Amino acid sequence: MHELLLFASVPAHQHHELLQQLAGLTAMQPRHRLERRLVFKAYRKPGLTNARGGTNQGADIVRLNKMLNGGMYYTQVVGPISEADFDTQRSSSGDPDAAMSGTDEAAGSSYDYENQPWKLEFRDIPEAGTRSTITARLTASATLPKGDIVTPMNAWGYSFVTEYVVEGQVFIHNDIVIFLHRVLQYPIHGQEPHEPRRQLPSFRDMSPLERTGSYILQAAITVQDGSNQELMRTAFQHLFGLREQLKSAVRLEHADRLSLDTRAK
Amino acid sequence: MPLTGVFFIPSNPNASTALATVTERLNSAFAEEPALLGRWGLDHKLMRDTPSCLPPSTSQRQTVPKLMQFLWLYHYPTHGFIYASQPLDNGNAPAVTTAKATASSSQSSQTTTATTPMIMTTIPHQSTASLYQHFVYACQPFWAPRHTVTVQGGMVYEIGDFRVRVGDVRQTQPAARVRGTVVEIEWRGPSLVSTLSRLYQSRKLKTGKVPGPYSFNEEDDGDDDSGIGLDFPDGVEEADIDAEYVATATLIREFWTKLGVDGAREAILVSDIGKEAKRRLQEMKQQDKQWSSRTGKDDVDQQVDEDPDAGVDVARQYMEVFRFNR
Repeated sequence: MHELLLFASVPAHQHHELLQQLAGLTAMQPRHRLERRLVFKAYRKPGLTNARGGTNQGADIVRLNKMLNGGMYYTQVVGPISEADFDTQRSSSGDPDAAMSGTDEAAGSSYDYENQPWKLEFRDIPEAGTRSTITARLTASATLPKGDIVTPMNAWGYSFVTEYVVEGQVFIHNDIVIFLHRVLQYPIHGQEPHEPRRQLPSFRDMSPLERTGSYILQAAITVQDGSNQELMRTAFQHLFGLREQLKSAVRLEHADRLSLDTRAK
Repeated sequence: MPLTGVFFIPSNPNASTALATVTERLNSAFAEEPALLGRWGLDHKLMRDTPSCLPPSTSQRQTVPKLMQFLWLYHYPTHGFIYASQPLDNGNAPAVTTAKATASSSQSSQTTTATTPMIMTTIPHQSTASLYQHFVYACQPFWAPRHTVTVQGGMVYEIGDFRVRVGDVRQTQPAARVRGTVVEIEWRGPSLVSTLSRLYQSRKLKTGKVPGPYSFNEEDDGDDDSGIGLDFPDGVEEADIDAEYVATATLIREFWTKLGVDGAREAILVSDIGKEAKRRLQEMKQQDKQWSSRTGKDDVDQQVDEDPDAGVDVARQYMEVFRFNR
């Protein structure tokens, strides 16, 4: 699958107005979306690469060596949550220590990690080249088992790095998915955990990554068959069309390619 | 979760397989006429960690290859099975039930491939292909595709309390060739594990949010709610489950011996077999904690799989025999 994208930065004061404009354009009420996003990194066993330099190498060996030096990527595991999943009881107590002692199941917490559905969402680094007016990248998505996702991900070659939350509103405009969102960070008390949180803190303790409170507007079209030039061209035109329609409100543009680099070094 | 055994009779490329022999013996060796129930098939892909594919060099210590196997079975159409070697350098590995390891090792089988512990995962069928493609594309330094085998147009027979699936195994990648014949023997008589499994499902349907009619596995059992009226069997312990796997293995071996086909590799008491059955037993024992249902989840994108554990035992057995020429 391929994904074509345009982005715009939306300052906090414009957020409400833009929501109304988008509701008018798309003729729909926004759908609230709240997602846990776990970042995983592909790992390589140390000391096993580039250890070989023979001369009598068959084609198979050459191919394998090439594979060994192939790209490795970060990938995300995304799980839908709701605001009710955040621990509202503890926040009302206003005791920061209570939020830290996340060892036992409290009465007010409804979050059930064992039943959390997950999806793998892989995004390649955006394609380089002439289509620099729009960000285009290869994507893959797969439904994963519920609950503890770290064990299978470890077995598949990925290790957990960190996690964050994305919160925003979704609009659908023909084949374009418009997502007006912001990134929320978990409150950090001392050391960051080495595995996904089994309980969520109070939603009010989540802090936006962008301190000014601004939002990101993302317009995306997913193309099932990226090699189909006709489909890709149509998707390009539709995105350009949206850019024109929203011209007076926001300036949609492509993102810096390297800022969306998912390769693991 | 029925109790099964899988046998694989390898054959040389271009030679005829043992399929005809097995079919003929099924008809001749038993008093009962085998009833043809239908067709079946499977699809299996094997990956191996790329560094271990290279020939061993003197400068490197030989490491145990890590494997990842993708399996799809026609009789469990909702999900695909992924079985991957557990990373050795991983400290937070889950506690594996070690009780049954001794039980399975006491049985001498022809397949004595010692491998690292593996982790079974099931994901919705539609996602299996995209996940495999993802590993092929984005994980080249550590996952290399090795081979793909399929069974197409296999036959399902019923003989007494047994259901038998036979079919020719063809390799499609990297080169097309015949691999042999696979035979799955399923015990369909009374069994503790299937009763527990049905009890678990019926409770799940009663307490869970989706009252879905998931019963493709049990549809011809007729009395689907036979487990509902049962009190929870407090006396059942993990050892009972182990004992049943061992006892059923004897029944399946007896059945196989009657066929009298030589040169087969057997996979019955493979490692971790019955792991999910035992976990369910534990869950039912602490049901007060476990049977809370979850509500309000946005499941729009998630394909609902009523019983993600269905068929994991037989999947392990198939994967055991398909680990050839790694």
